[in-house]
Amino acid sequence: MNGEMEILEKVKKAFGEKAETAPKWERQSEIKVPLELLHPLLGYLRAQGFGHLAMISCVDWIEEGEFELVYHLWSYEKRLHLLVKTRIDRENPTVETIIPIFRIAETYERELHEMFGIDFPGNPNLTPLFLEDWDGSPPMRRDFDTRKYVEEKYGMIDLTKELWKREEPVLEGENGED
Amino acid sequence: MGTGLKNLLNPLDAVKYLFKKPHTIRLPYEPKVIANRYRGIHVNDWDLCVGCGNCARICTCQAITMVPVEGIEPKPGSTNLRPKVDYGKCSFCGQCVDVCPTGSLKLSKNFNLISTNREDYVFIPSKEWDSGPGTGWESDLEYSILNFERVEMPERPPEERRKDFEPVILGFSREQAVVEGMRCLGCALCMDGCPTRMFIPQYIEAITDGDYEKSLKIFYVNNPLPEICGTVCTHRCEDACVYSRRGQPVQIRYLKGFGASRIDDRAKVLGTKVGTKKGRVAVIGAGPAGFTVSYYLRREGFDVTIFEALSVPGGMMKVGIPRYRLSQKILDREIGFITSLGVEIKYNTRIGRDIKLSQLLKEFDAVFLGVGFHRGIKMGIPGEDGEGVMQAVDFLRKVNLGEEVKIGKRILVVGGGDVAMDATRTPLRLGAEEVILSYRRREVDMPASEEEIKEAKEEGVVFMTQTLPIEVLRDANGKVTGVKYVRTRMEDQGPGRRPKPVPIMEETFIFEVDTVIEAIGQTPDYSLMEKEIREKLTFDKSGKRVVVDENGMTSVEGLFAGGDIVNYRGDIISAVADAVKAAKGIARYLAGK
Amino acid sequence: MERIEHFEYFIGPQHPGVTGNMSYHLWARGDEIVKIVSSVGYLHRGFEKLMEYRFWIQNVPMVPRICVPEPDVNEILYAMGVERLAGLEVPERAQYIRVLVLELARLSAYLFYFAGVAGALGLYTIPQWAIGDRDYILDLFEELTGGRVYHIFITPGGVRRDLPPGFKEKVRKVLKHLKDRLSDYDRLYFDNALFIKRTKGVAVMTKEYALEMGVTGPNLRATGFRYDVRRGDPYLVYPKLEFDIPVTGGGDNYSRVMQRRLEFEESIRIIEQVLDMMPEGPVITKLPNPFRWKIEKNDVYVRVESSKGEFGYYVVSDGSEKPRRIHVRGPSYTHGIQVAQEMAVGLRIADVPVFLFSMDVCPPDIER
Repeated sequence: MNGEMEILEKVKKAFGEKAETAPKWERQSEIKVPLELLHPLLGYLRAQGFGHLAMISCVDWIEEGEFELVYHLWSYEKRLHLLVKTRIDRENPTVETIIPIFRIAETYERELHEMFGIDFPGNPNLTPLFLEDWDGSPPMRRDFDTRKYVEEKYGMIDLTKELWKREEPVLEGENGED
Repeated sequence: MGTGLKNLLNPLDAVKYLFKKPHTIRLPYEPKVIANRYRGIHVNDWDLCVGCGNCARICTCQAITMVPVEGIEPKPGSTNLRPKVDYGKCSFCGQCVDVCPTGSLKLSKNFNLISTNREDYVFIPSKEWDSGPGTGWESDLEYSILNFERVEMPERPPEERRKDFEPVILGFSREQAVVEGMRCLGCALCMDGCPTRMFIPQYIEAITDGDYEKSLKIFYVNNPLPEICGTVCTHRCEDACVYSRRGQPVQIRYLKGFGASRIDDRAKVLGTKVGTKKGRVAVIGAGPAGFTVSYYLRREGFDVTIFEALSVPGGMMKVGIPRYRLSQKILDREIGFITSLGVEIKYNTRIGRDIKLSQLLKEFDAVFLGVGFHRGIKMGIPGEDGEGVMQAVDFLRKVNLGEEVKIGKRILVVGGGDVAMDATRTPLRLGAEEVILSYRRREVDMPASEEEIKEAKEEGVVFMTQTLPIEVLRDANGKVTGVKYVRTRMEDQGPGRRPKPVPIMEETFIFEVDTVIEAIGQTPDYSLMEKEIREKLTFDKSGKRVVVDENGMTSVEGLFAGGDIVNYRGDIISAVADAVKAAKGIARYLAGK
Repeated sequence: MERIEHFEYFIGPQHPGVTGNMSYHLWARGDEIVKIVSSVGYLHRGFEKLMEYRFWIQNVPMVPRICVPEPDVNEILYAMGVERLAGLEVPERAQYIRVLVLELARLSAYLFYFAGVAGALGLYTIPQWAIGDRDYILDLFEELTGGRVYHIFITPGGVRRDLPPGFKEKVRKVLKHLKDRLSDYDRLYFDNALFIKRTKGVAVMTKEYALEMGVTGPNLRATGFRYDVRRGDPYLVYPKLEFDIPVTGGGDNYSRVMQRRLEFEESIRIIEQVLDMMPEGPVITKLPNPFRWKIEKNDVYVRVESSKGEFGYYVVSDGSEKPRRIHVRGPSYTHGIQVAQEMAVGLRIADVPVFLFSMDVCPPDIER
């Protein structure tokens, strides 16, 4: 726990108030930074021994109009996991690649590009990864409706129509009375 | 490790297996021994299954649909739907089994379903593939995802509560209500149990979400007395709850009471706006049926006048149910809101005495009759007439109205219903030393609700079951000194019928009591209406109840009826249900007039 | 006459050199690979997206399908993630049963792995032995969980059923059999000159490279880096159990196989301890109503040591009845795509399947 606080304090010192740090779980802390601090922070953490980039996650907070990128870093020496989080605009999602810091990020960014439509300038290989001849919107976005896409593209028998539905009340004010 | 001659010769060692017994399946073919827990083909016991649809909802693969099955009659707490499984989708995870509240579903050990016909892989499971009890993936209460145990309603201790008329139950706390409400699976089987089909899953959902305004709105869709029903309802919904099959049902009644008690000012949430419809309706009896019909008609805009024989509103809710079960505060809150909408009540106006029914039929566009059963039935035994013997309904009415009642120290109550329970517990609170309950059948046959029997026993009522009073004994001054009784034995009447009590006349015993309260049943008093009207009415086989059509109208045009005088169940919620039906019927009737 | 620069070859998607459907596009000059491009997408089932549509408890039957040879790590990760977020306590007996399941799964995955490498080398007796021995473990799973391959047994809150009567004895019997067989495997396989000749010094991965590329698990340990999630970021009751973290250190195909061979013994050791130490008690805690179970807004990354390396789940809840996002980190994600593309260059064609199998590339967990 001590090593954990130590690195968080170091980050605070180096990056100031803009980096929100908080211990989260046992051997797991989070650091929230604005996008412009992301690359310096990742570089700094790498130098501090956080050499294992487990993956890059993206969470679509569609209500807030933002994507949250989560860089999962692990330090073998400190035995500490860091969730480095940054928010980017959902309309124009662009993040400079982190390949110069973590080479393995190439594949991770490739997936995010495909699944969320995030652009990573500087990544040489943003070719399709899992999807072939994809014509829909990026599928992992919250507004992509799997069932609708399948029905439109392939045609599907909707079995849910047969599923049992319970009776719902009509409340005053809902039918325009109030 | 280098690669020497040893490494080259090592593999030759495997040659030794040439002469060993192989550990693969041997020929001639030996069938594989299937593990006892194997998750194979679905089996469903249709007798246990209630068609609640939880298996279909939990199914990750959407492999289960609920389909109606011919030959299964839907009844409260059980639909005619049964799960149908599509083996093109099923992943044999067994979650449908773990979520099955009744334990009817299981996955058997059998798995060899081979067919060239693709329709064979979509079927309604029955017992066809059963591999026998104790095999396959069976439902087990210990490992079930569901919580079969309810949150007990906090109560005051018996020694304390038997001294006064304050409420016995203390009501749920918010945490308790959420825990209890979260048990609801939302399958809506309970709605079939409720006479007025309240939207139970929806309001429980709203209550657990803390959205009491929404829950209140849902109550008032078809029940304007939610807090009263949330306290003293006969909760047929809970009997229909899927949990009752193997555990304790969700306490729908108390959850409703909790939700309704959260909002003091009904008008603020529901508004006091009334509609624009025109018409005058007379309602006879300010009981549950009367108030319900008044509420819905007034909401539509009709002018409603209630005629009540007593000086207080509430009918049986006020004069039949003792205050320790239903507090005056709840009554005032619910009835006050209905009257605040502009419903006029004429108290101390008895139909037949102060005003004639025919006159009402003439003056008003429609009349609703909701008078209830206010006259007790007598046992018809010697010595019954005179002081010291009274009817439970009369006794309870007097106590509830605050009139003075003379009772002795040792009291005998005859009967086994809810009224009998009220009649035993009320004297205790009035200072009686000993109360004996005499019932001619066994305790399991009692029509009273379980918790009333439990609470009466806790408070010290002595239960003398299988006893039948045959004479009230009096001394020279006419004072009651005791009751002579005989024991009964139960005679089996065949399957599905209640056993009949047969008195054993050889031996008689005596209860030494000074007061007798009779609570063996009530009957309506039709003397309020004129003979001509009474002759036009159609009564049912018992001659006690009025027959109404699907609009709640009797055979007399413009005369509607509801409550105890119409339904045989005789509880508040059934009166509400009748009245909701009648309110719609009256609105339709007046629209067509 | 046009001069041919190189030949193009395709491995997969239906090639025994890869466990599952995945393909590699090879460019070879003579017998030497000059370029290799991995191509995934044959197995993308969109589980992460499907999970967002389902109640928390409904995802339990879905997650094991993410990894075919070792499905249980997905169950434990999903369960651990949900338990952390919901603050559920797992009974101790359930934790022991979970370790038992996980280690049995590791044994069966390693047997599958031995079979795969040997198959790629053309030593066809070994796959038959290994798959046969793996079946004994599947029989145990069938007895315990009701399923042979996808067990759907570990659920948030514990495990779905207790051990059946006499199960411990059956496990001990199978363990004894496996231990006896290990010497046979040694003679036929691990000490086999053919195997050693074909694998030693082939496709050497340095420790630095492995760390840089995020290679984990046995592949990382085979380069000489001593690290195991079970010790480094411990979960369940692993801290109470005694076992070593063997390290081979060559970084080549041979070391990667031998690394698993050593860990195989450690797993047997763990299971033996689990059987002795398992306490009595309940195996599952009561969960809230499955249809209305809401989990407060939070997120957590959980990881376990699978037979292929670090398997991780990033579970995000937004306070509703359904997960907001579940992101799966399959261990093959790193070494199956980028690392394979870089390291296979310079190998001979015949060594490519051996290399891929020695790395234990598993397409299902790459693609989810």
